Amino acid sequence: MFSFFSPSNIYSTIQRLIKFINSIFFLVLIIGLTFALVFSPPDYIQGDSVRIMYVHVPSAWLGLACFSFITLLSVFNFIFKIKNFYFINKCIAPIGLLFTCLAIITGSLWGQPTWGTWWAWDARLTSMFVLMLFYIFYILVFKIIRKEELAIKISSIVAILGSINLPIIKYSVEWWSTLHQPASIKITGSSAIHSTMLLPLMAMLFVFVLYAALIFLMKYKTEIIRIKKKNIKRI
Amino acid sequence: MIIEFIAMNGYGLYVWLSFSVVLVSCAVVYYKTKKTLKKYEKEFLVELETLSLSEKNKALKNSKIAQQILSANSKIS
Repeated sequence: MFSFFSPSNIYSTIQRLIKFINSIFFLVLIIGLTFALVFSPPDYIQGDSVRIMYVHVPSAWLGLACFSFITLLSVFNFIFKIKNFYFINKCIAPIGLLFTCLAIITGSLWGQPTWGTWWAWDARLTSMFVLMLFYIFYILVFKIIRKEELAIKISSIVAILGSINLPIIKYSVEWWSTLHQPASIKITGSSAIHSTMLLPLMAMLFVFVLYAALIFLMKYKTEIIRIKKKNIKRI
Repeated sequence: MIIEFIAMNGYGLYVWLSFSVVLVSCAVVYYKTKKTLKKYEKEFLVELETLSLSEKNKALKNSKIAQQILSANSKIS
């Protein structure tokens, strides 16, 4: 079953996917930006500063999604001992770190006109900061530890420990009184966001997902070549 | 109208700065990732060239990835 995930089987698929994403990316980006900056209306309280949401929210979602995925694959790696999952995680972690940092920076830029402060040590902001630290620890593990087996074990432990922070991020706005507003978009139940803002948000989310997929595929391709280069005499 | 659009009712600095930070960071990461990929492809080809002819043929015969890297890079050059 897992032979499908072997590097040699998916290499050509990766190349085709990279070409496909590269061919549509700029068009999708321009559509997303036009919706976010031109077509979407200003908020009745926050005015045009609400447009920061179109880069802040997708960044935060992807930062969380990447770490959830890393945790899931780390658990699978512990159970099934599939090394390929470690390589996938190694490629996802820098993408997750990028988006978490972007969520914090854009959140800060949104916080200044809305709350009157760049930063507050409230539950949501602090838990996002902790997520960023976990990403840094995770990446440092395979940068510092040269022994692959040990790096896999320690990075998996870091990921599983870091996953405790994920529900804290999600529910921090409900559990504690925070500066950060509660979630406007709910998977179950009705969302508190108008469709004229939801559509640009979804368009920008699609742009971010495409970008994340593109970077992941390029990183994974690099990882496959690195492994092949290491074992070139054994091919 | 353009000035109004840029000013964003006084929030222009925050909005444009947010979008710029995101776009520049993503562009830098894309450029660095692409550069690293090209570097590893080149290094792989150099490594392939160091093999003897029989080893090289064997590697190309047994590895689809080696074939694809070689053909992709020969198209570029």
